[in-house]
Amino acid sequence: MVDVSRVQKELTECNRDREVSGVSIALHDGSTISHLTGTIAGPQGTPYEGGTFVIDIRLPGGYPFEPPKMQFITKVWHPNISSQNGAICLDILKDQWSPALTLKTALLSLQALLSAPAPDDPQDAVVAQQYLRDYSTFSATARYWTEAFAKSSSTGMEEKVQKLVEMGFPEDMVRSVLKSVNGDENMALEKLCSG
Amino acid sequence: MASEDGCGGGNPPGDAAAAPPVWNAAPAAGAGCGDLEEDLRFQCCVCLELLYKPVVIACGHMSCFWCVHNAMHIIRESHCAVCRQPYKHFPSICQLLHHLLIKLEPVEYKRREKEVLEDEKRVDTYSPQIIEFLNSKSNNCEIDGENRPEESNSRPPQEVTSDGNTINGHPKKVKLEDVSCALCKELLYQPAVLNCGHVYCMSCLSSLDDGALKCQVCGGLHPGDFPNVCLDLDHFIEDYFPAEYDLRREKIKLLKGECNQGSSSGTSCRKEGRGRPTNKENRAHQDDDLSDVHIGVGCDSCGMYPIRGKRYKCKDCTELIGFDLCEECYNTKSKLPGRFNQHHTPDHRMELDQSALFNMLMRLQGIHEESPREIIIEGAFVAPDAVVHIIADDHEEIEDNGEDDHLL
Repeated sequence: MVDVSRVQKELTECNRDREVSGVSIALHDGSTISHLTGTIAGPQGTPYEGGTFVIDIRLPGGYPFEPPKMQFITKVWHPNISSQNGAICLDILKDQWSPALTLKTALLSLQALLSAPAPDDPQDAVVAQQYLRDYSTFSATARYWTEAFAKSSSTGMEEKVQKLVEMGFPEDMVRSVLKSVNGDENMALEKLCSG
Repeated sequence: MASEDGCGGGNPPGDAAAAPPVWNAAPAAGAGCGDLEEDLRFQCCVCLELLYKPVVIACGHMSCFWCVHNAMHIIRESHCAVCRQPYKHFPSICQLLHHLLIKLEPVEYKRREKEVLEDEKRVDTYSPQIIEFLNSKSNNCEIDGENRPEESNSRPPQEVTSDGNTINGHPKKVKLEDVSCALCKELLYQPAVLNCGHVYCMSCLSSLDDGALKCQVCGGLHPGDFPNVCLDLDHFIEDYFPAEYDLRREKIKLLKGECNQGSSSGTSCRKEGRGRPTNKENRAHQDDDLSDVHIGVGCDSCGMYPIRGKRYKCKDCTELIGFDLCEECYNTKSKLPGRFNQHHTPDHRMELDQSALFNMLMRLQGIHEESPREIIIEGAFVAPDAVVHIIADDHEEIEDNGEDDHLL
């Protein structure tokens, strides 16, 4: 039921200028077209700068007449995103969705949401409280989370591969193991050692 | 899509001979030869393909027939996908645009036709087969045939090819009379499209408006808001016929000196207080009270979707989608064919039908879980799954006060 040709167009269109826009979309593990993975670059000048945030995208049967279901996979500290499960509170992903919006515009909206939190309409009450009462702590936490979760899995990947290869593991095995543990170096090492 | 035409002069020679690049070059933005920019002008914002059987909403934005229909809300008023302006009537296909696109993008349009027809076969529900209508315009003057003869005298097509706008001496695919106003018969200037799909200059439309906006071609009353300029079409005409468009601009400025403050920003001043007064008055309370809504059932004459108030259903139409009229259209004995290619004729029997009434369905859902599903399927224009889904959603909202906001 998903409009396959539209989704394919969207993918091409979105990935055409990924360097400029900072957002991209790929099939989730090459499976069906209704399960995708989006990535957005943390906006500059925010605590999310330098991070790469991965978003799970599921397209309902009625897409594009129903909104896509989006959820952060990368842990993120933000008033409108659950710190527990990555659920997003954003009107265009709910009742304000319009079929003229696309996955790209939705991801760009998420990017904008990272730049401009709306703590008065929170998804995560704890984060929102902190944002309102103690911004500096909020900012530091958000930056720490970005450092810890949004950089490890993607940006430092090559160095990690390099390191593990130097330890004597074959490169293709290193890559696949790293991927399977979502880029966690220590877990990868453990896995590699346990064979 | 149709990138052959997209390169504004950069075509390889062989290509140019086969399909003359009549796109007169150069809206500055499109000069980069990217087929994308060229195509975007008549791209549907919903399916991202070339518009097929375009429908123009009162706000001036357009989509394909099915894209608009599928995007409409089956219970409440709908909102334009682009600007979110509310509307309640499913407009008829704009035949002028339909023919414009056939001429501009013959290959791609044909491909779209095939593609859509396959989809329609799958659900056994069809959009109006207007192509036959128009090809036989000599014997069918009802739609647009009557305009043609006079137009051709007003400006012979040859003149167009002789001005500076053709490329390599090729005649343009689109002629002036293809984009002329249904009233003044001249080149459209700031075109606006009525609910019936007929296109007028904004200035002509304003002159028509004395309380109720009535189409001069088909006689249909325009329900809902006063239409805005269809900017996509306006920009196309301006680019395609720059000299003629300038002339029209000058002329209309002279004619309408008193209205010059509205000439550039179009219609914002006119948006309010026009159209059918009953709609306006009822809007506020109607939206809260859904009891008189016939879920997923539209009027085949005026396009009201969903029907509010009394619904009359044809007992003799065999098409899956059925044939329905709202009370007003039932009383005015409209002879329009159905909007989904039904074979409805005036001698078919109509009866009052409450089977898709909101109240009724809610009650049934309480008693029998399965029955509303069947009832809705019978009357609905939308995929049954979607209907049931939306009904379930609405039901929840009513009972749980919309708590699903926090779920994801």
